[in-house]
Amino acid sequence: MSLTYSIREGLAGFRRAKFAFIASVSATTVALILIGTFALLTFKAQQVTSWMKQRVGELEVFLDEEVDEPTARAISARADLVVGVDEVEYVSREEAREVFRREFGEGSEIFLDEPFLPASVKVRVDSDYANPDSLQSLVGEFSSWARVDEVVFNQPLLVKVQQNLRLFTLTGLSLGALVVLAALFLVGNTIRLTIYARRLLIRTMKLVGATDAFIQRPFIVEGIMQGVIAGGIASLLLWGIYGMLAGYLPQFAGSDTVLLVLLTVGLVLLGALLGWLGSYFAVRRFIKNVALH
Amino acid sequence: MIDLRDVTVSYPLPDGNKREVFEHLTLSLKQGEMAYLIGPTGSGKTTLMRLIYMDLFPDEGVVRVGEYRSDMIEPKDIPYLRRSLGVVFQDFQLLPDRSVFDNVAFALYATGKSGAAVKNRVMQVLGRVGLQHKWKRYPHEISGGEQQRVSIARAIANEPWILLADEPTGNLDPRVADEIQKLLISLHRQGMTLLISTHDYRLVKKFPARTLALMKGQIVDVDAETIGEVARKNRRR
Repeated sequence: MSLTYSIREGLAGFRRAKFAFIASVSATTVALILIGTFALLTFKAQQVTSWMKQRVGELEVFLDEEVDEPTARAISARADLVVGVDEVEYVSREEAREVFRREFGEGSEIFLDEPFLPASVKVRVDSDYANPDSLQSLVGEFSSWARVDEVVFNQPLLVKVQQNLRLFTLTGLSLGALVVLAALFLVGNTIRLTIYARRLLIRTMKLVGATDAFIQRPFIVEGIMQGVIAGGIASLLLWGIYGMLAGYLPQFAGSDTVLLVLLTVGLVLLGALLGWLGSYFAVRRFIKNVALH
Repeated sequence: MIDLRDVTVSYPLPDGNKREVFEHLTLSLKQGEMAYLIGPTGSGKTTLMRLIYMDLFPDEGVVRVGEYRSDMIEPKDIPYLRRSLGVVFQDFQLLPDRSVFDNVAFALYATGKSGAAVKNRVMQVLGRVGLQHKWKRYPHEISGGEQQRVSIARAIANEPWILLADEPTGNLDPRVADEIQKLLISLHRQGMTLLISTHDYRLVKKFPARTLALMKGQIVDVDAETIGEVARKNRRR
């Protein structure tokens, strides 16, 4: 029964202390929006990073000039089976000439009288393999194959990109840590203030002989409820922001329903956790320190 | 019984020194006894009450309240001690956002009671303080005297054997103060141990009982003549 009482009292918190309730929900919503935005940006940055690493870490396997079309395609298929290879693209001599013509424009035909462009296989590796060491090892493997003339990749550019990405990740993580800390601080302080505003209730409960656990329970129920509501509001706002961004940034376009549903579940759970912990620690501290006279 | 043996209490001062409120104070109050606690402001009346409901612990000595001892009680047992006593304050300390009924019921819920038992008990204690007909009202809708009655109803809801009243008539006019005093005395006559701290020497004279005076960190039993002396000293302060 005391649990029923705690739940009833926790739910009545909104009616009894509207301002405190709204203040806590607002603070938690702001905190969750910050965290949610950061999570979304991190996810998208991760996608862009992988894409970039794959592009920069692309290998070109040039084949012998004499290789015939079926053999060249067989080499391409074999390359596709190598561990760490994400996808391959076979570029025939004709396609290479076409690319040359397109890139060098008018007058380039004079170079195309002689068939100097070999067939090649563009190898795009998994993002985990897009580092100089792994690529070197793949270069070694492809070079050892028969009918392979040369394997190249842009090592200096890859090293440069990797250094910049590392710096970007570190900066992002530091900013994220700051955002999360600020969010926790904001929520913790708001909950503490709202509980301080109800010190008479806690004092009276202590005075009539309520146990600490009994005093804490309604506040925790209320905190969890506030967190769930804040999580819901933050998710709705983020869905809206995401939808707006999708109109401007190509990285945000496309169907990301699963991502957004996961984000909603995550934010609601995180909200509940923040509300629970915030209330638990604030009330516990207050119970210990409140004077009864 | 309530028993304080050789109790010393001091508060730290900002300059690093200590101010001794009680020095080897000894007091004994039998079950079912009634006593007034008088003394000038700052003499330690509230401190003594806090020692009894164990919101404060002595630097030296022992406070015994029934089966509980200040030197042996575990923090988890303090709520159970507090269920055996009721406390009433000068400023009533009612929850303004709850009705008269809920203010009293709250004390019962807080000690794990539920359902019809709560409803019956609340109406019973409201009947004892003469406020059964105002159970739906909120504190701001009733008078000061009635608020103090609700506070008394809340204090006795869990059937404590001790009632501590810290200046219960301090905020009330003399006529209402008399009514509250009569109510407290009626509870005492039904068997409750009653300790009332007060500045109101008129009430002490009008409703005589054992009177304890706090002076210079000590407690002494005083008679009617000494009460007058204490009152005069108090007025001169």
